[in-house]
Order: sequence, then structure tokens, then C-alpha cells
Amino acid sequence: MDAPVSLVFWILSFIIIVSAFMVVSLKNIFHCALFLILCLFSVAGIYLLLNAEFLAAAQVLIYVGAVSILMIFAIMLTSQLASKRISQTNENKLVAFFVCLMFGLSTLVLIANTHVWRYSAQALPEANVLTIGKYLMTDFMLPFEVVSVLLLAAMIGAIVLARKETS
Amino acid sequence: MFYYLALAALLFSIGLYGVLTRRNIIGILMSLELMFNAANINFVTFNKFVITDGMTGQVFALFVIAVAAAEAVVGLAIVLLVYRNWQGIKTDYINVMKW
Amino acid sequence: MDFQLPDYNLRLMLPEIFLFLWALVVITFDVVTKRKSESAAGYLSLLGLLITGGILSFTGYGRGFGTMFFSDPMALFFKVIFLGSAFMAIGSSFGITKQKIVNHRGEFFGLILFSTVGMMFLASSQELLSLYIGLELTTIPLFVLAGFFKDNKLSVEAAMKYFIIGAFSSALLIYGISFLYGLSGTTDILQMKINLAITHLTFKNIGVTLLLSIILVIAGIGFKLSLPPFHQWTPDVYEGSPTPIAAFLSVGSKAAGLVAFAKIFVNGLSAFYGPEMLPNDWGKLVATLAVLAMIIGNTVAIRQTNIKRMLAYSSIAQVGYIMIGMVAMNELGLSSVAFYAFAYMFANMGAFAVVAIFEDKTGLTQISSYAGLSKSSPLLAASMAVFLLSLAGIPPLAGFMAKYYVFAAAIKTAGSSASSSWLYWLVGVGMLTAVFSLYYYANVIKEMYFSKETSPYRVKFSAPALMVVCLGLIGVFLLGLYPEPIMRFASDISASFGFIPN
Repeated sequence: MDAPVSLVFWILSFIIIVSAFMVVSLKNIFHCALFLILCLFSVAGIYLLLNAEFLAAAQVLIYVGAVSILMIFAIMLTSQLASKRISQTNENKLVAFFVCLMFGLSTLVLIANTHVWRYSAQALPEANVLTIGKYLMTDFMLPFEVVSVLLLAAMIGAIVLARKETS
Repeated sequence: MFYYLALAALLFSIGLYGVLTRRNIIGILMSLELMFNAANINFVTFNKFVITDGMTGQVFALFVIAVAAAEAVVGLAIVLLVYRNWQGIKTDYINVMKW
Repeated sequence: MDFQLPDYNLRLMLPEIFLFLWALVVITFDVVTKRKSESAAGYLSLLGLLITGGILSFTGYGRGFGTMFFSDPMALFFKVIFLGSAFMAIGSSFGITKQKIVNHRGEFFGLILFSTVGMMFLASSQELLSLYIGLELTTIPLFVLAGFFKDNKLSVEAAMKYFIIGAFSSALLIYGISFLYGLSGTTDILQMKINLAITHLTFKNIGVTLLLSIILVIAGIGFKLSLPPFHQWTPDVYEGSPTPIAAFLSVGSKAAGLVAFAKIFVNGLSAFYGPEMLPNDWGKLVATLAVLAMIIGNTVAIRQTNIKRMLAYSSIAQVGYIMIGMVAMNELGLSSVAFYAFAYMFANMGAFAVVAIFEDKTGLTQISSYAGLSKSSPLLAASMAVFLLSLAGIPPLAGFMAKYYVFAAAIKTAGSSASSSWLYWLVGVGMLTAVFSLYYYANVIKEMYFSKETSPYRVKFSAPALMVVCLGLIGVFLLGLYPEPIMRFASDISASFGFIPN
């Protein structure tokens, strides 16, 4: 990592970690959703640092544009629990905190002690969007088709569940 | 590369914490999104630093985003359903069945 | 990079494509006919499954879409299981679509078919991405199906729990897969196996991160298989969701989890099995979970008073037995797993079908409500008894042969080298808990046959329900008395796993 990228990386990861922590700890669920948007936006920035421009765009469009808005809608529709006072967390907070702390630390230790990555000789393709498009239409064509079936099934399912019965 | 993977690991742990402690289904859903994003950062990082021939990692991340969106849609439909039945969506209200 | 259009070989995918289109036909049919007909959509989906099965028998072996779509013996065998469990689930849900689901019959059957399509894609994938997508296509319709009784709190709660658990497990799975991708440099499972072996040879160690990804993937799939300690959701979801869906969850979705597990571990990570691969030895880890499954499933089932919860715990125990075959890792191992899954399909779907028929008539799922059923509806009671005895593993029924093959596979490996003698312990625990399990299965039979009073409920079979129960009975007896043909077909599985036979 050269210096300027590094600085951007530190800023972005600081925002990601802080806002992620806000998402899981704030009492007001609406504020949580706003911090989620900030967090996902910064993750898109991380993608830009990692030469994944198309993915960054998709992240902003799908997550920030669609999923988060959907969540805000759901929060609005189910209004009164955005009201404060009600505790948003359950009893086993401390246990969960330690479990996750242990998990995070052990993951860090494991990653730091792994040196067997098989670096490949070729360079990352430059024309990002072009390459991804070609992948989607050749090697990954089958999952691409199946994921459209998946989206259709999810859509039908969501409509069935969310519809109010008239009779 | 370690820093990127470490960022993902931290994000994943925070998401895990959220899933374990939240009472509100929407809260759990948001924490799950954090976990999916951690996995995506991993994919893209490996694609950038380790496996540079090809873009399998980025394509994989793209699919994960799509799947996460589909899951969110169904999840929010279930949220509405729960809200209609209980007029509130705390996981605690739902105690008809014992764990 | 050069890109080439892969050889599609669409011929191999005809069953999946057909079933997907048929699901759309079923949904459209129901809408076009203004949801008037009570059971036409159901018969239509049964017909679709039959035609798909017919097409499946002509597809043969081969590969399509590069390495994306494998049609090997394992895939074909499990596709038969998926189609069979979908068939029996739809056949036993005519009662609830007549009475409870009046507005969305087409979607109900269509989503079952969508989920089956996902399972079939999963069984044919030889690549982590399509495997993951297949698994998601399997589970997302099931979230919806679990909550199909929209004004029933139990059902909605089941949907919510299943959704949280399902999405959580898929997040764990995908995080684990991301490390597998990083360590092996590929998402192709066969290539992954080779790459990991090369890495191991060059670096003399594979990196402890593999252990992390093994644990995460086991947890992710373990939730789908309800392998302890990831099993707590199972009884709640089975109790709350519509009974045919609970049956489909316990057989179809579990068999899908088994395929995913076999693909990733028995195939992709087969090098990391055995004592010299510490700490990455997944065999003992899974064996420990299997022991837990057998003990927890069989002991907690004794305390249950609700038959659906009892069957849920019984299904947890059954996964423990299947896992014995999975960790055996010899030429009999996967074949016994497939055979077990096949036998389990008939017995478990049959038992759930009886529960569904009884519930449609009476609305009750308590074990005590089955008292004296043998006098009022002898056929129903007799078939329930047969299914439960098969699940318990009583000869000459299918469950006995299944357990026999699984144990035989484990004993064969255990005898082959001193380092794998721990498999003897596994088999020992399996046999002991199988004896225990007889207690709670027999408890239901005792209620039905040795109760003083006569049951007030006289339950009649509807035509599709009778068909499902008969299919289950035929399967249970046939596999128990004459298992050779199926076993011969199943033995191709481990011989050719991951390769296309000529």
C-alpha cells in the first residue's frame, strides 16, 4: 500500500467500524438504519481502493439505494418500536460481547499466522466492468441465471406474505 | 492485505454481536447485512492481492449482494407479517414456543 | 484473458428447466382460474414432478456450463430424493390447501417446486458459487412456506425463526467460503482440492485459517442439517410451520444440506481428514457433532408430547446417523449416506403425511390424541407404526438396512488403520442410542394400539394422501427387504464422486 491510499483506508475503516458499532448498539432503530447506510457507503469506498469499481457502484445502488431504503420503510411501517425507551437488546449482552470478542481476536490471530496464500503471477485485469460482464456471460452464466430464479422466488414469496387478505 | 482482512473480521464480529443481542428483527437483519459485507470485503481483498488472475472474487461478491437483497426482501415481508400478528416486532413477544 | 462460451449441454439441465417452467405454469394457472379449483393446482404440480422424474431418467451423466453443472451419480440419486420428497409433501398438503390456504394455493405449490429446483441445482453444482446460490434458492422459498398460515401466530413465529437462523447460517457459510477461496485460489471444488494439496506440499502446512473456514462452513451447513449445537430452531419451526412443509424441511432441505456437505468436505477437503492433518482434521469434529446429535436428539425426543416436536428431535438424531456414513470416508461411505437419505425419505415423509392427515381431520398434534387410533382407523395406525418402526431401525424395514450400511461403512474404515479406531466408538454410540430411540417411537405405537378407549376420530384418506402413504409403505418395505438394486446404484456414487463416469 502506498501512502495516500493507506490514509484513505484508515479513514474509511475507522468510519466503517464506528458506524457498524453504532448499528448494533444504538437504541433508536432509525438511527441504526442511517448508520448502516454510512457503513455500507464506506464499504463501497473500500471496494474502490481494491480496484472493484463496478462492485462499488453495485454496492451503492443495491445496498444503499434499495436494501437500506426498504429497511427504513419497514421501520416506518412498524412505527411504534422506533420509540425509545423499549430496550432493543436482550439479556445475554455480556456473554455475546465476549463470544464476539474472542471470535474476532482469534480470527485476527489466525489470519496473521497464515502465510500460505498462493499469489498468482498474472495481474488483475484492468477493464473492470468489461471483464465482469464477460464473466457473467461465460463462466458464471449458470449461477447468473439461477440467481434470477432466486430473485423471482423471493419476489413471489414476499408478495404472498406481505399481502393483506381481503376475505 | 492483512489490514483489509482484519477490517472484514472486525466487521463480521460486530455483526455477529448484533445478531446475538438484538431483540428487534430489523436490527438482526441490519447486523446480518454487516456480516455479508464482511464476507464481500474478504472476496474482493483476495481477488486484489492473492488471486489476481481473473475476477472470480468480485463476481462472487456481486452474487452475494444479490442474494443478500433477496433475503432482505423476504425478511422484511416476514417483519410485516409479525407486526400484523403482534403489533410489535420484538423477538421477545414471540414466546409461544419454548426454545 | 480469453473468454469462451462454455459448452452448455442444456440437455443435462432439462429436468431443472422444465420444473422451473412448470412452477410458473402452476402459479399462473391458479391465478388465471381465479383460484376457484380446490385441488387442480396440486394435481398439476404432482404431474409436473412426475414428468420431471421421467425426464431425469433420460438425462444421463455429463457436464455442462464448463464445470458449473455436473450430472454424476450422486447428483442423479439425490435429485430423485428431492423430487420424491417434494412429491410426498405436495401429496400430503391437499388437506391444508382445501381448508386453510385458500388465496394462495398456486404460490404454495409453486414455491415448493422452486425450492426443489434449487435443491436440484445444488446437487449438480461442483463449484462454490453455484452451490451457494443453489442453497439459497432452496431456503428462501422455505422461509415463506413456513409462514404460510399468515394469521396463525405459531406459523409466523416459525417463519421468523427459520428466517433468522437461515440468513445467519448463510452469512457464516459465505464468510467461511471466502476463506476457502482465498486459500485455494479457486471456487471450483475439484480444483480447490488439487490446489490445497499443492499448497500443503509446498509450504508443509496449510495455514490455520483453514480451520476457521472449516468451522464456519460446518456451522453454516450444520444449521441447515440441524446438527447440534445448531439444532435449537428445529422443533419450533417444525411445530409451527404447516405439517407438509415441516416434512419437506426435514427431508428435502436436509438432503440438500447433506449434498452440500459432501461436496465441500468429502470431495473438496478430503485431504484434510485424518490425524496427520491436525488441526485441520474435520473428521473428528463432525464425528463429535454426530455423537451430540444422536444423544441430544434421542433423549430429548422422549420428553416430547407433541408429535411434530418428537419427529423434529428424531430427525436431529437421524442426521447423527447419516453423519457416521459421511465421516467413514471409504467407498461405502457416501453410498450408505445416499441410501440412508433415501430410506429416511420414505419413512419420515410417510410419518409426517400421517400426522398431516390426522391434523387435517382433527386439528390436533398431541401424541395423546392418537390414543386408540388402531380401533377407529386401523390403516392409518398401521402405516404410522410401520413408518416409526422404520425410523427406529427395526428389521425388515428400510431404516434397518440404512443403519446397517452406515455402521458397516464406519466399521470398515475403523478396521483399516489404528488411527481411525475412534470410529468404533462412534458406531457404539450409534447402536446404543438406536436402542434408546425405540422407546419414544414405541410410545406412540403404544398409544395407538394398547389404549383402552377407542379413538373418537375416524380418519379417512383422500386420494392423494392415500397415494403418499402407499408410496411410503412400498418404499419402506422394498428398501428393507430387497435393497440390492438401490444399493448397487448408490455404490456408483462414492466410486465416481466428482467425476463423470463414461
